Amino acid sequence: MQNLLTLLQTTIDGILIGGVYAVISIGLSLVFGVMHIVNFAHAEFLMIGMFIAWFAWNYAGIDPMLGAFIALAVTFVLGMLMQRTMIKPILHAPQVSQIFLTVGLLFALENGALLLFGADYRSVSTGYQTQALTLLSTEAGRLFVPLDKLYAFLMALLSGGALWYFLSRTRWGRAMRATAQDPMAARLMGIDTDKMYMIAFGLGVGTTAFGGAVILPYITASPTVGSQFVVLMFTAVVLGGLGSVAGAVVGGIMVGLIQSFSALFLPIQLMNLTLFVIFILVLAFRPEGLTARRRA
Amino acid sequence: MTRQRLLPVLLFAGVIILALIPLGLDPRGYEMRILCITLLFASLGQAWNIVGGLANQISLGHAAYFGIGAYTSTILLKLFSLSPWLGGVIGMILAVAFALLLSLPTARLKGHYYALATLAAGEAIRVIANSWADVTGGPVGISVPYLPDGSLWMMQFSTVLPNYYLFLAALVVICLVFWKIKSGALGYRLRAIKENEQAAEVIGVDTYRSKLIAACVSAAITAFLGTLYAQFQFFFDPDTVFGVATISVKMALIAILGGVGRLSGPLVGAAFIIPMEEMANSYFGSSAAGLSQFAYGAILVLVILLNPHGLTALFAQLRDRFTGKGGSHDRSVA
Amino acid sequence: MSKSFGTEAQRATGLSRRAVLATGAAALATPALTGRVFAQDAVNVGVIMPLSGPNAQFGINSRNGIQLVADEINANGGIKSMGGAPINLVIADATSNPTQAATVAQRMMSQDNVVSVLGAFASSLTLAISEVTERRGVPLLTMSFSDQITDRGFRNVFQIVSVGSQIGAATFDYTRALAEQAGTTLERIAIMYEDTAYGTSQSAGLRSAAAAAGIEVVMDEAYPLGITDVSPLINQLRRSDAQVVFPVSYLNDSLLIVRAMRQQGITIPTVGGAAGYIIPDFRDGLGELADNVLSISPAAYDQAPEYTERFREKFGYFMVHEAQEHAACMGCLHAALESAGKADPDAIREHLQNDVFDQGWATVMTGGKVEFDDKGRNPHASPLMVQWQNGELATVYPKELAKAEVVWNS
Repeated sequence: MQNLLTLLQTTIDGILIGGVYAVISIGLSLVFGVMHIVNFAHAEFLMIGMFIAWFAWNYAGIDPMLGAFIALAVTFVLGMLMQRTMIKPILHAPQVSQIFLTVGLLFALENGALLLFGADYRSVSTGYQTQALTLLSTEAGRLFVPLDKLYAFLMALLSGGALWYFLSRTRWGRAMRATAQDPMAARLMGIDTDKMYMIAFGLGVGTTAFGGAVILPYITASPTVGSQFVVLMFTAVVLGGLGSVAGAVVGGIMVGLIQSFSALFLPIQLMNLTLFVIFILVLAFRPEGLTARRRA
Repeated sequence: MTRQRLLPVLLFAGVIILALIPLGLDPRGYEMRILCITLLFASLGQAWNIVGGLANQISLGHAAYFGIGAYTSTILLKLFSLSPWLGGVIGMILAVAFALLLSLPTARLKGHYYALATLAAGEAIRVIANSWADVTGGPVGISVPYLPDGSLWMMQFSTVLPNYYLFLAALVVICLVFWKIKSGALGYRLRAIKENEQAAEVIGVDTYRSKLIAACVSAAITAFLGTLYAQFQFFFDPDTVFGVATISVKMALIAILGGVGRLSGPLVGAAFIIPMEEMANSYFGSSAAGLSQFAYGAILVLVILLNPHGLTALFAQLRDRFTGKGGSHDRSVA
Repeated sequence: MSKSFGTEAQRATGLSRRAVLATGAAALATPALTGRVFAQDAVNVGVIMPLSGPNAQFGINSRNGIQLVADEINANGGIKSMGGAPINLVIADATSNPTQAATVAQRMMSQDNVVSVLGAFASSLTLAISEVTERRGVPLLTMSFSDQITDRGFRNVFQIVSVGSQIGAATFDYTRALAEQAGTTLERIAIMYEDTAYGTSQSAGLRSAAAAAGIEVVMDEAYPLGITDVSPLINQLRRSDAQVVFPVSYLNDSLLIVRAMRQQGITIPTVGGAAGYIIPDFRDGLGELADNVLSISPAAYDQAPEYTERFREKFGYFMVHEAQEHAACMGCLHAALESAGKADPDAIREHLQNDVFDQGWATVMTGGKVEFDDKGRNPHASPLMVQWQNGELATVYPKELAKAEVVWNS
């Protein structure tokens, strides 16, 4: 009974954190899917989202779950500006230059945040932060669902669902997918691909910033917080298939589950080692990701 | 044609100048240290260039080889008082073994996928070095035992002057290796792979084997540079020698910034990045926290926006504008 | 380089612009001679801290502590034995990279002729710097914990705090004594630590002290730095049935751990391992949850309020331990400069090695004085157990130094 409870608890923890990985990875996948750019600076927008939500909480008393919408709006505009000024000129540059530019951007954003906000760790305090739902309480133990993680998970579901709706059900979303598949054909059909690229980048970084804001109740904001997530994000995106938005969701949840189950059976210290090994093996055997249907 | 013959002459002259520079400097001084680090990173960039430039395999995990080299020689030195010259060779062998192991799952990968797989591999090795404390000393790091008087056999010196010449010799050897590969049969095969891998296979190039040889040479060189670094820095920890930003990405950046795939690329890249980073730290390091790193990042972005093909292309572009030749160079560097 | 150095000198000393320009120009022309030509030339002291990267906050705190002491010395007429020469802090960013830290140290010694170096909070940075300062014969004063710093037989490194293994052992021994005082016999403890230099060395001390006392460690887990979810740790803690938990971590993890414990209704005493547990952000982040959390600390501001309150006045928050210990380093260096009477690293080293520092800022360390033994360690240093009470840190152990009664919830 106790073993069963432990397995259940591990699954719950893995899925809850995985949902958050999913939402911060969707944006990265979207940017790659539409523009074929691997944005190494992407995790920095998570950090920016966290700071925006923190300022909203600190100065206006706005809960991070609502502040997340402000973070989304601000970074959406910021992302569009950045796409226009920095990403657009290198869309057709060699891959190495693209990687190089986004790495430079990463340094600039991380240290720009340090200049602007200082090195302090910013944390919010909310009522639900220290509460948990008890799903089950028996002699052998209890099953918990921490509220802060549950809320973050639900917000992640919400934003993932909204993005899915946008991409598959709206005209702009369809135009964006057309741009992703064949920019030339899209242009011939009268789609303004430059605009699509801008919107895609804005949405990509916006979703990640949104994800950053909703985890603020249990992760402190600091200029270097992005580096905690950058490798996890890439792992999630690749597991699901680079460029696939639905894949990023599956990938994110898988990363969460791999981490929590690894921690159960192996020393906790090695949880990311397990992740990297699985990551490399997936790349080797299914580079298109686990969710993709094989192309003929 | 003439360029090809001119290059060795230029390089030879460059080596002579570099060999003479220290004569006017304090052998224990700051400038010497910066020069040493510049030479080290030029060498690292060139080692990366063999894989990243010639075979177009963008590796972001070369720190794995660098760290294996640094740790192997230092551990053997601590345990058995083995000379780092020998320990460095053992490190090279281990690095090649790791390169072979890593090639099993990654050799068929291309582009972003290869970059991400190597990134993960480098991180995996870092986690192992961090956790395997019985051997590596773990996160607290490892110190090279101190010899106040120094010794050539133990590769430890009381000034950095001998280190400088070691780094310079390493750079010359690595540039020769790079040149040899680039202009030899392997270079042609790698270029064929870079242009079109499937076509290369059709005309009978063993693409897997060519990439593997390049990867092993690059790994071995990088590992020995790790040993040279250990005997220069004397203390390091897993985060330093297996660092993504401090080693893996920096090696690649230096080659890319200078001009990827060119012999001169890493030399230009290192001569630009290392002093620039140092100046940013020196001018802004104390005034506002983060300003120096911010400036570093901003300059990187700026350089690539000015010319996505790197500094050497940027110089050519500027020169052409100066002499009124127009943008004919852009095609030749692509 | 001389440009930034000039403005730094001006800010630190309040010298007139012309004087700075004059000395700056002289320094450019004949760097080696300036010390002798101008009797009142500023004495350059190197301060190397992580001012960017993940440890930036601690680096900035440390710099503030040193700045406070240097400003006080200069306001009181500088170094008397050197004709009132002011202290000029040459501050530089070590980033979080040991290679960069060593380069910065080299730069300070070559270009700024610093007579001594203070730094650099993180042990890995300090170790890298010491390899350079040792070979140049420039004294290095530090508050980094790592045993390795003073284990290599170096002559020019002075460690003002207890080493990591001692701090770890004291964490356990003090906790056991406090538990006994409250009528609890310790039988089962849990250790969780981040897998960094700081986490591993301190937990090693804890572990061996527990083993020596014959107490079972029912959980002993390292976790990766930057962990994004501590649930696995807390689940394991809950299953382990430990009586006390010893988390050794920086701030983010410390907040995660304390909150997750509360979510699961775990109320056993928490004894932190300094770092993230004894900074104002811990209290700000946790509010009333911070109350009663214990932590080891290499120094505590309530031991010398007449000094540490000046820090609070100037910077608006209590004097965190890294600021306090760095201030004590600066105090010792000041005294050594006074007795050396010249800006000569060798002479300063001799005085650091042989003098007893029991005046001024050196007294903020435990024992009220500082000395350095042959290894460069301070035998008077001993860690303290502090507890969050009403938003402030209070020393609760050892008994003779305690400023408040411990609150023990078992």
